[in-house]
Amino acid sequence: MDVLIQLMINGIMLGSMYAIISVGLTLIFGVIRVVNFAHGELLMIGMYAVYLLCTKLGLHPYVAAFPVIVLLFLTGVLIQRFIIQPLLDADEHIQIFATVGLSTALVNLALMVFGADLYSVTSPDIRVTVKLGTYNVLVGQLVMLGAAVTLVVGLHAFMQNTALGRAIRATAQNRNAALLMGVRVNQIYIITFGLGAACVGLASALVSPLFPATPTVGTYFVLTAFVVVVLGGMRSMYGAFWGAMIIGLVDSLSAYYIAPDLKEVVYFAIFILILIFKPTGLFGFGRGTE
Amino acid sequence: MKLVMRAACAAGILATGLALSTGAVNAQTKIGALYPFSGGLALLGDESFRGLELATEERNAAGGVKGQPLQIVKGDAVDPNQAVGEARRLTSVDKVTVVFGTYSSSLSLAATQVTELAGVPYFELGAISDPITERGFKNLFRTNPTARDFAASMVDAIGEAIAPALGVDAKSLKVAIIHEDSLYGQTVAGYQTKRAQEKGVTVVETLPYSAKSVDLTPVILRLKSANVDVVLQTSYQNDTVLFFRQAKEQGFKPKAVMGAGGGYSLRETMEAVGAANMEGALNVDFTQYKTNVSAAPGITEFVAKYKAKYGIEPRSGHSLANYVGAKIFFDAMAAAKDFSAPAIRESVLKVDLAVGATASGWGAKFNEAGQNTRVSPFVMQWQGGELVTVFPAKAAVTKMKTGLGTN
Repeated sequence: MDVLIQLMINGIMLGSMYAIISVGLTLIFGVIRVVNFAHGELLMIGMYAVYLLCTKLGLHPYVAAFPVIVLLFLTGVLIQRFIIQPLLDADEHIQIFATVGLSTALVNLALMVFGADLYSVTSPDIRVTVKLGTYNVLVGQLVMLGAAVTLVVGLHAFMQNTALGRAIRATAQNRNAALLMGVRVNQIYIITFGLGAACVGLASALVSPLFPATPTVGTYFVLTAFVVVVLGGMRSMYGAFWGAMIIGLVDSLSAYYIAPDLKEVVYFAIFILILIFKPTGLFGFGRGTE
Repeated sequence: MKLVMRAACAAGILATGLALSTGAVNAQTKIGALYPFSGGLALLGDESFRGLELATEERNAAGGVKGQPLQIVKGDAVDPNQAVGEARRLTSVDKVTVVFGTYSSSLSLAATQVTELAGVPYFELGAISDPITERGFKNLFRTNPTARDFAASMVDAIGEAIAPALGVDAKSLKVAIIHEDSLYGQTVAGYQTKRAQEKGVTVVETLPYSAKSVDLTPVILRLKSANVDVVLQTSYQNDTVLFFRQAKEQGFKPKAVMGAGGGYSLRETMEAVGAANMEGALNVDFTQYKTNVSAAPGITEFVAKYKAKYGIEPRSGHSLANYVGAKIFFDAMAAAKDFSAPAIRESVLKVDLAVGATASGWGAKFNEAGQNTRVSPFVMQWQGGELVTVFPAKAAVTKMKTGLGTN
């Protein structure tokens, strides 16, 4: 019983890590409909930026979050403006290849600049174990859970209640109709991609203290992030959050009770079953939105 | 003006002719050096090559092999395809006498197929995959220990080093084998399981996991629930860091943890984990530099030579392994009646060096398959942020500690 509860706590913490990484992808994949294979590499850039800010300037990782969010917002804006936008009317596959190319280029750039070794932020105050009864959890994980909930609630409110949020949703629903209604679609795309990337900036500051940065660190997370977004119904922030929690719990429990190397099999099996019985994802908008 | 030009041309031609003829007088023996010099494996590929380069320079300073200086021809093997291409170039265009390599097993497996067909001897100095010398090749020889030797050293250390240090019976120790699930981890873990059965070691858990895991907590909880005393891990860098961090966070304190080289040997791993948390972690690998000179005569001189040439401390034990291997084969070439492949094979099979006769502490005696049978990797331990040799006793520079972490 003790082990089960510890595993569930661990799963929730893992889920909040997936959630905070996937929220940005929900914006990019769900709204702009670009399958952004470079999403993991945005995380990688963010983690190296956090590492540099922490070691060279002595910032606390959580303080480093602010400049990194701005940096990644700008990176996202540049990617959308100069790589995706010229391809918006091209075949979807071409966009996919563009992001795959970008991903490969960024990984190799990191290999050139930083080498294949891993870099880790030293942050003794974040890696402190907190005892909840007899169960262990890290300060950094609790912060991540709090941040994930805040970010999801905040983004949801932003999408529902602001003019910009409504414009983003309108663009997501029907690009041409939004254009006819006077929405500056290209600007919306740029802002959305920037916001999605900025969320990854926040994620990288929270993940860095728990996870060392390597050139390929993005690939560890990106596939799970796609699963989470599709599971959550593509456009829903809450959907992505609950999707991430489900994956986190399944990941943690199946690795213990079945086998650590089979956990992907388990959660992909669940993923396929959900897609068969509920093709629009758990929190989808009904058929026909795809 | 024309006259001046003609005179210059004539002088030039003469000079070239002269240079060519002196070249012909001083016949050189070309040796191929096939390593990954660029790409993701370049760092340790280059470190391996430095060992060969130092051994060659030392040999040339002493008059070369059979009075002929050795000339290294480099081949850059980034991936198996390129390894094949470069092996072809070395054997057919450059017509090298022998080839040295390779650091990476997949590169070695590919390149040796070419050299075997071409009838050119191939000296493997660093790749550990067992099947390299299990294919019945006649012109392939390997000095370094293989994955099976790594696994055997790890399992044997439980009975010979860990149990005596703890003052308990080896059979009473509960052992877990955990490993990343690619070829490297699967291979070593497979040999560990076999060796453990032969030695009667109690293995209570065998857990494979993906090296790309972002969370090893469930693995650690399994080990904790099973009350594991000794963990044998075969891992890369990222999963090693995760294991040590999360073991500490979950309060899992085994009596000993031992790695199979890989992530355990790298300084960056220790820095990411923290010297205090890595304290006491055991590791089995090629000989490193904090090793007792009496078991590895010449290791100090090697480090001095290395520093004199490259201006830094050796970056890993790979250069030493390649240096020692190259020297063994240079001696065998010198003892052969000529440089033909059968003569070199005959001479290599006659090599007979006792364990502890080389700078890496290895001996040399090759079996019919071409594998050196007198090698076994030493057991090392992280102590105070340094990887020091602790077992066998003759090679040890300090006493082995038990437990994990300083707090």
